[in-house]
This record gives sequence, C-alpha cells and structure tokens, in this order.
Amino acid sequence: MKNLNTLLAGVFLAVALPFGALVISSQAQLGSLGRAPAEDGGPLFPSREPGLAIQGRAVYVSLGCVSCHTQQVRPAGQGSDIARGYGVRPSVARDYAQQKQVLVGDRRIGPDLANYGARTSKIDLEALLRDPASSGAASHPSYSYLYGRSADGKSIVPSERAVALVAYLKSLRQDYSSPEAKLKQ
Amino acid sequence: MTQENRSGRPQGRPPEGDSRLSRVEAQLRGPFLLFFVSAVIWLLAASVLGVVAALQQGAVAGGPFRDCEVFTFGHIASVQRNLFVYGWGFNAFFALNLWLLSQLGRFELRNGWLATLGGAVWNLALTYGVVQIFAGHQTGFGLLDFPREVGPVLAVAFLLAGFWPIVAFARRPTGHTFASQWFVVGASFAFPLSYLLAQLLVLWQPASGVVQSIAYSWFVSNLLLLWVAASALAAVYYFLPKVLGRTISGYYLAPVAFWTFFLFAGWTGPAALVGGPVPLWIQSVGVVAGAMLMVPVIITAINFHGTLSSEGGWARAWNDTTLRFVSFGAIAFTLFGVLNAVFGFRGYNAVVRFTSFAAGQEQLLTYAFATMVLFGAAYFVLPRLTGSLWPSAKLVHVHFWATALGAIGTLAGLLLGGWQEGKLLADAAVGFPQVVKAGSAWNFVLTVSAVLLLVGHVAFALNAFGMILKSSAPASEGRHD
Repeated sequence: MKNLNTLLAGVFLAVALPFGALVISSQAQLGSLGRAPAEDGGPLFPSREPGLAIQGRAVYVSLGCVSCHTQQVRPAGQGSDIARGYGVRPSVARDYAQQKQVLVGDRRIGPDLANYGARTSKIDLEALLRDPASSGAASHPSYSYLYGRSADGKSIVPSERAVALVAYLKSLRQDYSSPEAKLKQ
Repeated sequence: MTQENRSGRPQGRPPEGDSRLSRVEAQLRGPFLLFFVSAVIWLLAASVLGVVAALQQGAVAGGPFRDCEVFTFGHIASVQRNLFVYGWGFNAFFALNLWLLSQLGRFELRNGWLATLGGAVWNLALTYGVVQIFAGHQTGFGLLDFPREVGPVLAVAFLLAGFWPIVAFARRPTGHTFASQWFVVGASFAFPLSYLLAQLLVLWQPASGVVQSIAYSWFVSNLLLLWVAASALAAVYYFLPKVLGRTISGYYLAPVAFWTFFLFAGWTGPAALVGGPVPLWIQSVGVVAGAMLMVPVIITAINFHGTLSSEGGWARAWNDTTLRFVSFGAIAFTLFGVLNAVFGFRGYNAVVRFTSFAAGQEQLLTYAFATMVLFGAAYFVLPRLTGSLWPSAKLVHVHFWATALGAIGTLAGLLLGGWQEGKLLADAAVGFPQVVKAGSAWNFVLTVSAVLLLVGHVAFALNAFGMILKSSAPASEGRHD
C-alpha cells in the first residue's frame, strides 16, 4: 500500500476488468444482433425506424420524457408488466438492435412505453399530450406548447415536433415474435 | 477542534495555540475556497430545484411551470441531479481530497493556479451543460446528461483540479500511508478512467443496442461508489480517529476493506438491469457483486462503529459538530450496503424496480452518507483555513437538524414510498392512477423534506460565507496571527 504504482495498477484493474467483462464481452455477444425472422422465411423484426420516428426520439429526449417512462417489459415472475398489458412478451436485446440511442429508462412515474404504439391510438396520444386532464391522465404534464392555432384560429394544429413525437411513440412496438421471444399462439 | 458554546453545543473553531496557518494549509487556501464556495452555490441551486421537482412530481398536470417547456419535470430533475453530483459533490470532494492528502502527505501545493484553473473550467463547463439541458439538449442518460462536447472539457478540468491527491501521494516525505490516502488516490484515478470510457461508448461512439445500457449502468455505479463513496470513506477514516483522538478499531482490516471495495464495486452496475433486456449472466454478476460488497461494508462498520462504540465515542460524537455529521454518514453507509445487497436479489428487486426505491438508495449514498460527511469535514477544515470562528452556533444547529430530518424524510419517502408503490404495481388489478394516488402522501413527505434540506443548506451557506468573508476582511478579527 506504500507503492503508488501498485496502488494505481490495482485500481486500474478494478476499473478495467469489469469494463472488459461486462461491456466489451456483451458487445461481442450482442453487437452483431440485427433484424431476424422468428421462423425461417418469416418477416424481419424489429422494423426499421421511420425517419420521422427518429426525429421524434430527439423530441422525446429533449423534453426529458425518459425521466418518467421506461421502455422495457420484464418477463412474467419479474413484476407484473405483462399482466398490466405493458407488453405481450418480455423485451429482448434484439428489440433495441436498430436503435441508435437506447432509452430503456430506470424509473416509472408513468407507464412503460416499450409497446405503447401497439396499445394506443394516434388520436388518444395527441389528446394526452395536448390536454392530459381531459383525457383521464391528470398527473401527466401538459405538452400544449407543442400545439398551436391554425391561421384562421379555429382549430388546433400540431407543430412539427408534435408530429414527430407522436410518430415516435406510435413506432414503439414489441408485439412481434423474435427468435428469443416468440409470441404465444 | 471544537468549543462548547453558550447553549452547550459544539461549534468549530481554529486550533488552540496554533498562531499561524501552516504553510501547507496556506498554499491550499485559494483553490480550496474556490472549490468550496462553488460547491455550496451549486448545492443551493440544486436544493431550490429539488423543491420545485418535488412540487412538480406531487402535483396535478405538472405543477409549477406546467406550461413552460424549459422547466419540464424532466429538465428540472435532470439538472437537479447533475448540480448535486457534479456541482456540489465534485467541487466539495476536490477541496476535501486535496486538503486530506496535503495534510497526510505534508504536500505543498506550489502550482495551485492549475487547480484553480481546473476548478474554473469545471464550473464553466457545468454551467454550459446545465443551460444546454434546460434548452432541451440533454442526452437521455442520467448523470451523463450534458451534451457530449461537455465531457472532454470536464475530463480535462478533472485532471487539473482532481488529480493533485495522486501527486501529493507520490511526493509524500514518509513511507507510511493511511487508509484515507488509499481511498482518495483510488477515487481520483478510477473516476476519470470510468468517465472517459463511458463518454466514448455511450455518447461518442455508442455501443450497439442494449450494450449502451450496460456501459451506462457500469459508469453510474463507478461514479457513485468509486468516486463519491470512496472519497467519503477516506474522510471518515481521517476524521473519526483525528477528532476522537484514538486509533480506528480493527484498523488492520482497512486494507482488506479498500481492496474488496474496489474489487467488487465496479461489477455492481448491472444489478440496475435485473429483469431487463440484457443477458442473464450480466444481471447475475451485478447481483452477486452487490452481495460481495458487504465484505467492505462489514469491515468499515467494524472500523467506524467499533471506534465510536468504545470509550464513550457516541457521546463525544453527539457533542462535536464534525463527528455528529460524520457519524450520521457512517451509519448511512452501512445501511446503504445492506440495502444494496438485499434489494439486488431478484425477489425484492422485482418489487422495487422502477419505483422511487433506487432514487432512495442513491440519496442514502450521496446525501445521507457523502454529503453529511462533507458537512462534518467543512466544520473541521474551514476554521483552520480561514482562521475564523463559525459566526453563528444557532445556524449550526439549524443546519444539522434541518439536513438530518430532511434526509430521513427524503429516505422514508423514497424507500418506503418506493416499496409501497412496488407492492401496488406488482398487483396488476391495481390501476396506474390508483398507484399514483396512493403515493400522494409520500409526495407530501418528499416536498416537506426538500424544503427542510433547503433550509439547512441556506443556514450552512450563511454561516460558511460569513466565516469566509470575515476572514477575507483586511483586519480579520478571527485570525490569531
């Protein structure tokens, strides 16, 4: 403990070994995951993200939505996510393979959004963002500033950011079979 | 290092009979005060935001600033957490670690301007990062929220401001070393390594898919354990024997505590991913490492609580400001270790996952442990560096009681509230709105606690700034020159 080099070498190993074993090895294990069919000849999932959804993810991040919402469904026996209808199967690593920025989150002040696109309509989603109180989600913050008035002032129109955000949230789906998590027939 | 004031309570004061600041301390004074003053200003800002975030979380439709995009809950909560950790925690530990290693190694900081420059760059980068979060340019990864261009600047600033303890260790005149030195050197070396690797794989060249989440969880555990907790442990190992005037109980175990702490802490991150879309073996490694972390936790408990339990140590701790805060922190660290081990296991983890419980564990480590230890350290160090007395004994009392009660209230709200939330969420028949409604009582507790913490921090700031200003006056009354 008197030798600085020994101390630094020990601390270096204490940082580097977990990094290598946890991060580098998982990159080796999961880095090549891509779109794949659940069965031979089936459709490839997960779907490619539409450009508008990619823009919407930036809006989702910029508003800080990840502070309150997760995007991961735990397996049965690890919480009630599936029983609550957050998803139809557990999330697996392949579901996120196409995402440049993975926002699994770690806090649920609001519901999980991993399969949100499959369980909500565009109209309900816009109502929630614009006026949460009247859509039955009084504790959800209002995003009315993403909406404006039309030129004649008679109707409410979404901004480009609102359109992108809705497209992103609608794109969040994990309701397909994948090789690691097949849907029950 | 204390005197009994009129109310019979302790108040920090300059050392008796020491007519001059030591040369070592005189050279430290400038950088130390820069770090310390910056830290307290950020702490006040974080405390105000903590109250706002608590009001927002407990209110209908967003609460304060409900229609203001800049101050969404996501922005406020993110800025609050970053200011608390990077603003308060880092600046305060820059100051304390530098002071500790200079004391223990009799290190004269001849190039203090470099540390001062590092501190200035750190705080400017932090300010820029905060503005960027409010402008909506955060990354979405908590504690790595600042836009990626901030990362390299913070890393350089850390090397300028936070690397001095390693230099001090290398240049110490004696061969003997102390546990405090090991922990500070380890923390000062582990953080920049972890930070740069995380910046690279999460923000600059993001790893594939969920590997980002694994790298991120690894970084967060390193930040909280290998920097915050290690630095605070160093302080406890110093102040307990120093103020009590006796050796640490079972001190021969301290090297085991140090090595096992650093050996296991780096593996604990994936415990935050239990049940998530990452390989099971990675989750299991995190859970096992959390349990193994009990080894250093038990040893530090023997060291700290054993020392306090002998020869009326607890009574003395109660009557000494520094020890009162430090002991509070030492108890909190033991509690953190136990909760971390127990609630890592899948059965309990499944209940508390995604609730406020994890925030409670972080609060237990960063506030109840590290921040309380930092407060205790400030009551010991500042009178020495400024040569002044703490201006108000009442403010010292307000500080302790407000922060202690605020910390206990916050922990109760987050941990017990999180447990209740988890139990309700585990029952799929209970709707989410009902879960939110059930948490409203805890939200009230959290809001009151946030106000208490703010009151305590204001009291501390008034006292500390008053002392520093007094010592800066041309004819400083408190100096014993």
